[in-house]
Amino acid sequence: MTSPSVTIRRRLPSVVTQVFLVVLALAFLAPVAWAVISAFKPAAQIINDPLGFDPSSATLDNFTRMFADVPIVRGFVNTAIVLALKGSLTLFFAPLAAYGFAKYDFRFKGLLFGTVLITLMLPTIVLIIPLLLEMKELGWVNTYQALVLPGAVDAFAIFWMRQVIAAVPNELLDAARVDGCTEFGIFWRIVLPVIRPALAGLAVLTVMNIYNDFVWPVVIASSDRMATLQVVLSSLAQNITGNRIGADYATVTGELLAAASIALVPLLLIFIVLQKHFINGILAGSVKG
Amino acid sequence: MTLAPAAQRAQAPSATSRRRPHRSPSRRKLAPYVFVFPFIALFLAFGVYPMLFTLQLSFTDWRGSGSAQWVGWGNYTYLLTNPAFWSSLGNSAVMWLLIVPVQIVVALLVAVLLDNAKTRMRGFYRVAFLVPFVTPLVAVAQIWVVVFDQQYGAVNSVLNALGLPDVGWLTTSMWAKPTLALLFLWKTTGFIVIILLSGLQSIDPTVYEASSIDGASRFRQLRSMTLPLVRRTLMFAVVLQTLAIFQMFAEPYVVTDGGPYGSTTTAGLYLYDHITRADLGTGAANSFLLVIVVMVLSLGFVRLLRSED
Repeated sequence: MTSPSVTIRRRLPSVVTQVFLVVLALAFLAPVAWAVISAFKPAAQIINDPLGFDPSSATLDNFTRMFADVPIVRGFVNTAIVLALKGSLTLFFAPLAAYGFAKYDFRFKGLLFGTVLITLMLPTIVLIIPLLLEMKELGWVNTYQALVLPGAVDAFAIFWMRQVIAAVPNELLDAARVDGCTEFGIFWRIVLPVIRPALAGLAVLTVMNIYNDFVWPVVIASSDRMATLQVVLSSLAQNITGNRIGADYATVTGELLAAASIALVPLLLIFIVLQKHFINGILAGSVKG
Repeated sequence: MTLAPAAQRAQAPSATSRRRPHRSPSRRKLAPYVFVFPFIALFLAFGVYPMLFTLQLSFTDWRGSGSAQWVGWGNYTYLLTNPAFWSSLGNSAVMWLLIVPVQIVVALLVAVLLDNAKTRMRGFYRVAFLVPFVTPLVAVAQIWVVVFDQQYGAVNSVLNALGLPDVGWLTTSMWAKPTLALLFLWKTTGFIVIILLSGLQSIDPTVYEASSIDGASRFRQLRSMTLPLVRRTLMFAVVLQTLAIFQMFAEPYVVTDGGPYGSTTTAGLYLYDHITRADLGTGAANSFLLVIVVMVLSLGFVRLLRSED
């Protein structure tokens, strides 16, 4: 193929590019926008006229019915509790262990870190069955411990934080040592502040993962009392696919869209406000391969 | 407070000790054990132990209660001779074919465009493409259920408006897989764009300048320079998506429940079926077979993309 003419090379790209990107971006935004807008339509209209929207008929009916029908508030509370507990465990103990791996020499260090690397490559799905049995043995089915502890300090966080902390100059740590800082004091007052950008990335990624986590919660915490937000959402969707509900299709659909909108808004807001950390977190997080 | 002896204090900050971990007989020696202990405890309890347990379990017949019966390779031979197991792998393989080629091409195109400083509104696009990635999977899966409903869905409304007939997006075995694949594409392409973008941004811009002077077209530049330079990143993206697709569970679980006629029972969902039927020995064996499949595929892609050099 010979190179295209100069005019095409100069002009075509900018126009075609812009059109291509705009269309694609709209396609990416459309389903979410459609869901959020439709959630405010009367249930019957969602299915009779899926594409139209008459602002004068906007209503909160779907939301009020949904709140009455499914334990979504409970789901939010459970997710918030898990987020707070699991998130703080990850954000404290992962950098701490990573600091141990990065800046000290100790017995079995090679073996331990090697095991961390191996688990990085194993699909998480392998652990579902034995973990479930372990939880049964411990009597932890449908408890917060079961939602929080497995995976709280995951291998990936350790691996990433170790890379970051290894880059902190030893001179800095030694200077603190000379000043009489304890080993933990060095971690707390020197290492953590220095790695703050990466820590922010880890925080954002951790919050996203915990909030969106579904496979483990649906296996271990499916009772109404313990169901996380995502589990509550999925039970609603199954009412449609499985036709397991007496209510009519329109009503369930309305509730579904109301629930989905409410579930995605918090994360979307966090994302838009913290997008720089998000993108950096994803970029840094993706280096694991 | 730890006060290191003067001799060590003196040697520590020297340039030669830069890379060497610290050695000291004092509390410094104890400190790392304390630091890694919480992680190790959790890791052994909820990572290593269950892994070993699965291995043992995979050689037994156990229904979740009572005593487990040793069956040797029984679970493995059962699965390997079971058409349902192979069809779950087959479904995942078809999903892979429907997703990965399209995704890599689109994501690479978008990443190249977003990498170009002349493209306007780059910040907006980055956010727009990532919106599906950050929204909870279950929520978007539900949106799919509603939008692709045969009778009432928005997609069929558009088709009808264009004078086209309804399509059973989620109710026919022919369309259910592509519809799920589209969900996966929509959800994760923004993420792949960002990954590829990170690869592109690590390319030295002078490489392009040199070739522009030589008169290379944009397409030639892309094919003969950009692609080889981002090969590692591409490989990483492919491996990442292979892992994700063969473990795909929530999408079919929420959207199709594996149907119609098992056409969307992916490897991940099939594995979950053993759990719901309390057939835990078979499930454990299935886990390991899936790990082997995923690892072989990942290593295969790594080799394939390396050997093209």
